[in-house]
Amino acid sequence: MTAVLTADKAPPRPTAWRGRADERVWALAFASPYLLHLVALTAWPVLASLYFSMTEYDLVTPPRFVGFDNFARLFTDRIFWQTLGNTTYFAVLFVPAQTILALLLAVALNQKLRAVALIRAAYFVPVVSSWVVIAYVADAVFNPQFGIANQIFPAQDWLQDSALVIPTLAAVGVWKGVGYMMVLFLAGLQNIPQERYEAARIDGASAWQSFRYVTMPGISGTTFLVLVLTSITTLQAFEQIFVMTNGGPNGASELTVLYLYRQGFQFFQMGYASAIAWVLFVLVLGLTLVQFRLQRRWVHYA
Amino acid sequence: MRRTVAYIVVLLGALVMLVPFLAATGNSLKSFAQYIQIPPVWVPSPARWDNYAEVWRRTPFGRYLLNSLVIAVLAVAGNVLTSAMVGHALARMRLPGRQVLLTAALGTMMLPTVITIVPSFVLFRSFDWLDTMLPLIVPYWLATPFGIFLMRQTFLGIPKDFEEAASLDGANPWQVFWRVHLPLAKPALATLSVFTFMASWSAVLEPTIYLTSPENYTLPIGVMSLKGEFLGNDQLVTAAAMMSLLPMLIVFVLAQRYFVRGAMSAGIKG
Repeated sequence: MTAVLTADKAPPRPTAWRGRADERVWALAFASPYLLHLVALTAWPVLASLYFSMTEYDLVTPPRFVGFDNFARLFTDRIFWQTLGNTTYFAVLFVPAQTILALLLAVALNQKLRAVALIRAAYFVPVVSSWVVIAYVADAVFNPQFGIANQIFPAQDWLQDSALVIPTLAAVGVWKGVGYMMVLFLAGLQNIPQERYEAARIDGASAWQSFRYVTMPGISGTTFLVLVLTSITTLQAFEQIFVMTNGGPNGASELTVLYLYRQGFQFFQMGYASAIAWVLFVLVLGLTLVQFRLQRRWVHYA
Repeated sequence: MRRTVAYIVVLLGALVMLVPFLAATGNSLKSFAQYIQIPPVWVPSPARWDNYAEVWRRTPFGRYLLNSLVIAVLAVAGNVLTSAMVGHALARMRLPGRQVLLTAALGTMMLPTVITIVPSFVLFRSFDWLDTMLPLIVPYWLATPFGIFLMRQTFLGIPKDFEEAASLDGANPWQVFWRVHLPLAKPALATLSVFTFMASWSAVLEPTIYLTSPENYTLPIGVMSLKGEFLGNDQLVTAAAMMSLLPMLIVFVLAQRYFVRGAMSAGIKG
């Protein structure tokens, strides 16, 4: 029956392997790397992680099932809540700042400037640098004694002051990532038909009005993408913190993923670490769903 | 007028992007005394180029560099080949469950790495792969969602005439893929290569978890470990960090347009 239906849809072409079971075997062979990937690096780890989250597992003795104990413990773990607070604080500073700056730069760069490629390249240098490089570049700026930031602002202990550490990290994060998001916005801007701007001009729109009523709706799809991407990656921020402050001072920049890493790979509490991972996953998923739901109110697709 | 404002904004921004790198480069050429001098000296004189030589003399920097290069090259080769194969199957072949696979690939791009990090560690440990390069290479040989997505889009855009001509001439599916489609997809292959290179070159989390012996370190964690080695001589660690950036910078300069293309077509990996 199935064979008849497929044959109806696509009549065999005059080649040795077309339209036969042979082609499916070839197709499966081509897809096999990802099939293996899905099983070994996605499905199994996800299920295993769910199982580990309900066990006590130190890597030496076999996992011991404890039900929801890890989650109950998380609920009363003051440090865990503190890391969630720190993560939220970081995201609240980082996401809007990065989005607005990237948009502003993209609008400026979209004015048919000369040497666009060269200017864009400057913004990409931090993007392609590893966090370890960034840490030493940031030291030149934020070193408490001789960083150049101290020549501009009143001297501060930028990364060693618990009130300043998260804002400083967020600023460095924006500086590193803004070029990437700028390129996304630039692509969005270039998709807006020029006629809309001409129509706005004929209607006597000011520069601000044409930005507000032509540009902003025109790139709402891109803005949505940027917001979703940055908030997902921010909630998972690890490398920057690990390299630059390692959670200090006094846990002021301990974000949730860093706490997860410590529980798992420093204290060998793999079960507890897995439970943290799942709570984080549910939060990321929830946030993404909320964003998708809200998008209907403000995202226009041309 | 509007263009002047735009120029001022973007050039000011570009300056903010580059000045810290210049300052760090300056730092890497200082003596320790100059490094901690207040107010900071921008251009140290004499510039101590010997700092760079000293990193090579006193640390296994060459070893870290080699490790990173081997891992990155193998990761790029594997990811480009396998992602192209899977992308080709999804775009062009009659594959049972094609839609499911595509949805899975897109869906897992949203899956946080942290969910799978503990079981992956347990898995690779059971293979006895800890403290080897394998956990940093093999996943790239199993195609990445971003690569699959990029390659599928590319193959969808290639006209069917070529492959029909080739298969009429008796080419088998592998020959169609390898001789006809792959050469037509060169820009996408370049884009995927530079993105994979960047991801592999800058990775911190995975090498930290999987590598324990210093002789196996990649550049980022090797450089991090120098902090202890050069206690109180941050100008030397800065020199090492700037050197570790150099290969990435060369790739970037050579392949700038592919970076931009990748950033736009992806938007996916932050």
